[in-house]
Amino acid sequence: MANPAAAVEPVSKKLYFDIKWLLIFVIIAFLVIFEVFPLLYLVFRAFFPEGGFSLEAFQRVYSYPLNWTALKNTVITAGASMILGVLIAFPLAWLVGRTNLYFKKFFRTLFVMTYMVPPYVGAMAWLRLLNPRVGTLNVFLQELFNLSETPFNIYSVGGLIWVLTTFYYPYAFITISRAMENMDPSLEEASKISGASPLKTVATITLPMMAPSIVAAALLVFVSAASCYGIPSIIGAPGNVDTVTTRIIDFVYIGSSEGLSDATTLAVFLMLIANLVLYLSTFVVGRKQYITVSGKSVRPNIVDLGKWRIPATIAVIVFAIIVVVIPFATVFATSFTVNMGKDLFEAGNFTLKYWQVVFTRKQILNSAQNSIVAASVAATLGIIISCTMAYLLTRTRARGRKIPDFLITVGSGTPSIVIALGLIMTMNGKFGINIYNTLFIIIVAYMIKYLLMGMRTIVSAMTQIHESLEEAAQISGAGWLRRFKDVILPLIGPSVVAGWFLIFMPCFYELTMSTLLYSTDTKTIGYELYQYQTYHSQQTASAMAAAILIFVVVVNWILNKVTKGKFSI
Amino acid sequence: MSTIKIDKVRKCFGSVEVLKEFNQVFEDKEFITLLGPSGCGKTTMLRMLAGFEKPTSGTISIDDKVVSSDKVFIPPEKRDIGMVFQSYAVWPHMTVFDNIAYPLKIKKVPKDVIKQKVDAIMEVVHLSQYADRIPSQLSGGQQQRVALGRALVAEPNLLLLDEPLSNLDAKLRENMRFEIKAIQKKLGITVVYVTHDQIEAMTMSDKVIVINDGVIQQVGNPMEIYRNPANQFVAAFVGKIDFIHATSENGKITIKDTDQTLDYDGELTGDVVVAIRPESIHLCREGGKLRGVMDNKTFMGDVNDCYVRLPNGKGVRVIAPPETYDIYEIGEEIGLDFDTFHVYEDDGTDAATKIVT
Amino acid sequence: MKKFFAILMAAIMTLSLAACGPTQTGIDTDGLEIHEEVTGKVVIYTSMYQDIIEALQVTLDTVFPNCEIEFFQGGTGTIQSKVTAELEGGKLGCDILMVAEPAYALELKELGLLHAYDSPEKENLAFDYDPEGYWYPVRISNMVLAYNPDLYSEDEVASSFYDFANDPDLKGMISMSNPLTSGTALASAVGLSSTYGYEYFDALAAQDVMVESGSVALTKLETGECKEIMILEESVLKKREEEGSSIACIYPTDGTIVCPSPIMTITDEMSANANSAACEVITDWFLSLEGQSAIVAGWMHSVRSDYPEPPYDAIPTSEILKNVLSVDWEFCYKNRSEVRTEFEEKVKIPES
Repeated sequence: MANPAAAVEPVSKKLYFDIKWLLIFVIIAFLVIFEVFPLLYLVFRAFFPEGGFSLEAFQRVYSYPLNWTALKNTVITAGASMILGVLIAFPLAWLVGRTNLYFKKFFRTLFVMTYMVPPYVGAMAWLRLLNPRVGTLNVFLQELFNLSETPFNIYSVGGLIWVLTTFYYPYAFITISRAMENMDPSLEEASKISGASPLKTVATITLPMMAPSIVAAALLVFVSAASCYGIPSIIGAPGNVDTVTTRIIDFVYIGSSEGLSDATTLAVFLMLIANLVLYLSTFVVGRKQYITVSGKSVRPNIVDLGKWRIPATIAVIVFAIIVVVIPFATVFATSFTVNMGKDLFEAGNFTLKYWQVVFTRKQILNSAQNSIVAASVAATLGIIISCTMAYLLTRTRARGRKIPDFLITVGSGTPSIVIALGLIMTMNGKFGINIYNTLFIIIVAYMIKYLLMGMRTIVSAMTQIHESLEEAAQISGAGWLRRFKDVILPLIGPSVVAGWFLIFMPCFYELTMSTLLYSTDTKTIGYELYQYQTYHSQQTASAMAAAILIFVVVVNWILNKVTKGKFSI
Repeated sequence: MSTIKIDKVRKCFGSVEVLKEFNQVFEDKEFITLLGPSGCGKTTMLRMLAGFEKPTSGTISIDDKVVSSDKVFIPPEKRDIGMVFQSYAVWPHMTVFDNIAYPLKIKKVPKDVIKQKVDAIMEVVHLSQYADRIPSQLSGGQQQRVALGRALVAEPNLLLLDEPLSNLDAKLRENMRFEIKAIQKKLGITVVYVTHDQIEAMTMSDKVIVINDGVIQQVGNPMEIYRNPANQFVAAFVGKIDFIHATSENGKITIKDTDQTLDYDGELTGDVVVAIRPESIHLCREGGKLRGVMDNKTFMGDVNDCYVRLPNGKGVRVIAPPETYDIYEIGEEIGLDFDTFHVYEDDGTDAATKIVT
Repeated sequence: MKKFFAILMAAIMTLSLAACGPTQTGIDTDGLEIHEEVTGKVVIYTSMYQDIIEALQVTLDTVFPNCEIEFFQGGTGTIQSKVTAELEGGKLGCDILMVAEPAYALELKELGLLHAYDSPEKENLAFDYDPEGYWYPVRISNMVLAYNPDLYSEDEVASSFYDFANDPDLKGMISMSNPLTSGTALASAVGLSSTYGYEYFDALAAQDVMVESGSVALTKLETGECKEIMILEESVLKKREEEGSSIACIYPTDGTIVCPSPIMTITDEMSANANSAACEVITDWFLSLEGQSAIVAGWMHSVRSDYPEPPYDAIPTSEILKNVLSVDWEFCYKNRSEVRTEFEEKVKIPES
């Protein structure tokens, strides 16, 4: 190295930090414009409905008993789904990820697939299976056990919890299994050497090690369940079980300015609760991060279930049949049925016309295309932000790196409907930006809402890569981007693909925000599906849902084949 | 050539000062060892040399070029340094060849040259037959050699090693000590080596820097450090030592609670500690500088490891030639003779310090 | 992967093109009067069925070859909230609204959003219109009762709205739309509560009425989960024609609730394209016999006194009009929130 270089170095030092700073700045700017500002505007509007300060809306909304019932229902259903979801997801993730369970690869795909199905489709299936009068499963069980009445009533808080759980546990399953598969097996081996049984090892080593991921997973389920609209609107409404989301949509659909104020006011509450919970948990979890993958390369270890192998497999099969196979089969069957009151195989009751509608109706195809474009763009931009953020969070001490992280968490904790409302009110040209009625506003909304799932996946993958792996590249002369490309990216590659899909899928069939943000040219498949479900034809809706499902399975299969099993969901 | 100048370097993590003012010059082709217990600041110093940490104040120059100061900071990737990490940090998604070739790829070295150089280095670190393996198929020692190969392949002038042998078994560790030393000699590079293992420090280094609590205790070649420990800590940390509490007065040192004395021409007075290397003590029936009773003896094959109890109850460890095992019986009164001893102010350190680390 | 998406999309597109066309349930486009003078762009927000709109689109492209007419379809609630949100921004995204019932038209008129136009077609209308020309009824939706004759006989179900809420045999097996989100459901709630008092809501609550959308309710009739539902006649007719369903309407003995849905033009200052000239011609077309035939094809009744026939399988409009449960639209507009609140508190809050 020659001396003149010394004079140049200060510049290079400056550049080195500026890139990070610039990235943080760009991400913050994006979030401030499209998230913070609209949300603050909503809060502002709740307090200043007509320009002047007023608590009238608050008084009106919070003195109304139905709203309180709704709040209570939301907390109960989301809380219960969270607990049940984790109770289901943890053992499943362990069995599928760390034991010699039979068909575990298949099971893994099957469980993750539930994530890929629009939740309101599941709600429809369960409604058909467990309604108190003629629910197929209900009647079957009644006859089987010779009961005087049907055992279940889906139109209840319990029913709501059940459907929310069956559709949101995959969030926990995905989060937990990813952490579990990355855990250093020697930690468990050490426990076994110390004389602990496999179960004891799970309880004393695996479980505590997984604690941060479990907490993160639980909260993800809580927030998703609490801000879900589709399921409560289908399951809850007929039984008069209202949740905050259905109340908000009711207020919005009233269509008056006062209705909007009320919706906003109620939304502010949900937003604060959700974010408080999220923030507290990040704070708690943030202090207990374990690095479980060392710089040394380890082979994954598999727990031998021994005599429990067959019983465990049977238990998982039964679970899969109840939670995945039966509802999905119901959806498929519905898509071929002319008269829902009759047996599918009854003469003249089988038809392909709903499938024909799905593939011929221009509007449906346009919507499908819109959704694919919007979700792909949102997922791609989202994953770029996620990777950058994960890197900044885990590998640098750059000042301000926690700000975007916080904002992304806030975004995902904010109920979809609130995000959409905020965007409509602020992005219509009133404040200089007009993206209303374009696909861009939908993409922005998707990103704000679903970025977190991708980011968490990548952050968790990243925290589990020992820093020295990257330092080794650094000392070898690789710069910031090069290290990212050569070392980090290949190691978190599977997580990046998974993260992409975790953002893509919920965006692809997104309903709540699309409902408010769509315009003539930018309808989405989720909205289309919901419209068919509730207003036009449930059979067509089922055919659309089945088509989405097939699409997902095929993409997953191809990814798996092409990458020789490395990249799959 | 690679000369390193560390000038008034300090490092704080928050309010904790982990490294107090550090001034050193490392000469070209020197093998320097930073030795000290865990948490003494040695790894921090190494990471500052690498550029992973930025000094709180002070200047580091490599070959007269400032790499780190108040105004300048050159990131690690621009310092042309080789480094081996304690955890090896071999990339699990690359083959052995790709791992080692990486620094050359970054430098955009032509493919054929890369092949040639990597093959040469794999020869040096004995990995030629594993080129296409991925790291999870290698043993710990092999992974360690991959890390070493990768650090050496770009022919850096400066090689940093952060406790590279601590994860290896004893036999392998011994082999690797000699290999690293041999490679250093062969390639003629400057090496800064961090360890808490005094044997590694003694056997490999040209210069040992003993650090404790962020402060340099002593700098010197292994012989100086061993023979003339600058203070009680160094004496205890490097090699075996007997500490005997005593009082110094008028050119005489009186062992506590006895009437036995030693001649002393140093400056210390009052409560002191007399430090004697157990292997420098000769046993004798008659005479000797101190006298005591044989308390315990263990035959180790090459030596007789025994304890002699002074009248005040203090046990003095003696490492004597093996034949003495048969000569002196337990309970026998015995004389201790030695040529050199050191006297320190009593700072409370005892001979067990290094075990605690 | 991108490639895969592309291939899949292409496959879907090809399929669609192959099967398109013959499925259109359009109106005969021969012999239509072509309005070449109408130009520019017009956006219409409407709650009509998507299938109807796709068919209408073809007709309109023929009738107005030089005018780009775009539809935005959504439920009444969706459109109303969209309009409200757009108002906040100072401008609407549409030029014509074909949504909800007269109460909404009264509200928009008072807000000064509507463009007045004296249509020559008003002479032929059988229903009330705004004397100043701010809105005209364009289609008739009727709130009726429906049941499934395959599972129950007509005597087993209520024949009037009153019995619907009071027949203990129906308890737990009835369903209706949500007055909070549906315009016609609100109109019905207003009509029924004016006739029977708010006690009607208490009665509904005691019946454990399920409050949900029409398509869900119809499926419940098919499966037998519901015995009888309160629903728009057009939903039943559509199901009968398209799926050969045997679900049948009951025109209640205490009167059908008739909801004329208005067509309204937005003032040039507030509209998306400031194209009121085109909107006037389009309004006339919708009110014409030609335009009305599209409405009737969409299972709704015509607003014209001279329109020859009712929609598929429906009783003649004149028959329906003989027994109507009247709704005071002015009252509906003014007391909307009170009625909604009453409904919510009585029906939606669980007893516990």
